[in-house]
Amino acid sequence: MKEATLKTPITTEQVRDLDIGDIVYLSGTVFTARDMAHLKLKRLLAAGEKLPEEFEGGIIFHAGPVVKKTSDGWQLWVIGPTTSIRMEPYADMVGKMGVKAIVGKGGMAEGTSAALGKYGGIYLLAAPGCGVVHSQAVREVRRVHWLEEFGVPEAIWVLDVEKWGPHVVGMDSKGRSIFKDIATRANSLKKTWFAAVD
Amino acid sequence: MSSPNKDAFRKPNLKAHISTLLREKVCTTISPDVIYLMKQAQAAETSESAREMLNTQIENVRLAEAQKKPVCQSPGFPTVYIKYGGCLKVSDLTEALAEEFVSATNDGFLRPSIVHPLTRKNTGDNSGPGVPNFELDYDPNIDYIDVIVSLKGCGAELGNALRIMTPAQIGQNYAGVKEFVIDTVIKAGGKPCPPFAIGIGIGGQMDICAKLSRRAVSTRKWTDRHPEPELAALEDELMDKINQLGIGPGGIGGQTTALAVKIGLAYTHTAICPVAINFYCWVARRNGLRLYPDGRTEYLFTEEAN
Repeated sequence: MKEATLKTPITTEQVRDLDIGDIVYLSGTVFTARDMAHLKLKRLLAAGEKLPEEFEGGIIFHAGPVVKKTSDGWQLWVIGPTTSIRMEPYADMVGKMGVKAIVGKGGMAEGTSAALGKYGGIYLLAAPGCGVVHSQAVREVRRVHWLEEFGVPEAIWVLDVEKWGPHVVGMDSKGRSIFKDIATRANSLKKTWFAAVD
Repeated sequence: MSSPNKDAFRKPNLKAHISTLLREKVCTTISPDVIYLMKQAQAAETSESAREMLNTQIENVRLAEAQKKPVCQSPGFPTVYIKYGGCLKVSDLTEALAEEFVSATNDGFLRPSIVHPLTRKNTGDNSGPGVPNFELDYDPNIDYIDVIVSLKGCGAELGNALRIMTPAQIGQNYAGVKEFVIDTVIKAGGKPCPPFAIGIGIGGQMDICAKLSRRAVSTRKWTDRHPEPELAALEDELMDKINQLGIGPGGIGGQTTALAVKIGLAYTHTAICPVAINFYCWVARRNGLRLYPDGRTEYLFTEEAN
């Protein structure tokens, strides 16, 4: 088990070096994106239009924060991971955009494993339900996109983070997934309990 | 018992109590019975990475309380369970609750997360038709009011499942029902923020078993025992099996997958056996208040004796 600190822009070589179970800390720029942001990115790409940010070497965080508006802009109050599997339909698009690290919870599926291998990337598990802990690593809210259109949770928040973690590499660029391994073992155990039913 | 206070159940008084309940006992902490189970699990867990995850989760609750911040960024979907007798004008309470949800949202205790289900337009303040969801129970024999506020996370909701089983599918020793539960838990994996609790609704029709599953896991103490021995044994067996699956805190392995299994049961028709499975994440934002007509109050979920 290795421990690594990745700073944006992250390179393909850096993520290809990581294996499931490794511990990662992140520094630099993080883009939050949930269902609506992914959908809009897809539509923009299909229409050949410009994206609001450069995602090459970037980090996407499946999350929607609690924010407070102050006289100097936005104050990040609390932020933590949302359930990543909802973004599975966009797996290839996210890889193609050059995103090197996806941070979320619950794990993703085969499409993401394929994209992580094809483009070079990792899926990181952030501690679920720990919004106050994660918020401590956020230095600043840089800007926000699509707030009016989608509301607070679904907007793209551009955050500056420092030594954010520890995150566990849940899926690596070699096709391996902690989530898949656990489900396979659990299903084998289940068969020993309910063999008579089938 | 002292004499009834005529204002105890009127809106201004209810509003003050509800504000404290929502902000101090629900949004910024988790149910005391659940923190007790989290600490028990942490002491018993043998996987180092799982223990580390439980540490972080428990620390997050401590920080949220100390900093008066929402314990989780997602407020989930709010349901309020209200039990009342003849002495309450129900709209005094439901209006006070609906207003307090909006006010607490504007003060940063809840992220605005409620949208139109099809257009996805966010209302901006957690209001909207059907929100919060009220479950009202009238009992003419009581003179008090119970208000349980439950903010149930929706990542957990994604793992839920419902099946209208047939008598043949129930199986020997209910093996078919148990397999449905275990299958649902394996499919859900790390998505419902383990260590979770699950509510299992059995009986009625589709909507009834779904409501039973939600009520069981939302209103019962996760440390209680089912009063019916056969159902208590079924809860124990499922808990034991789920915690052998190795899903663990956060879904990255370990022995602590479920903190509780709670069954709610109603009778059903001879042709069917509806079963609903409902996950509740470990960040259990719920607590309840009992208000007496003489003005006394008590919390329904309190610290466990260790």
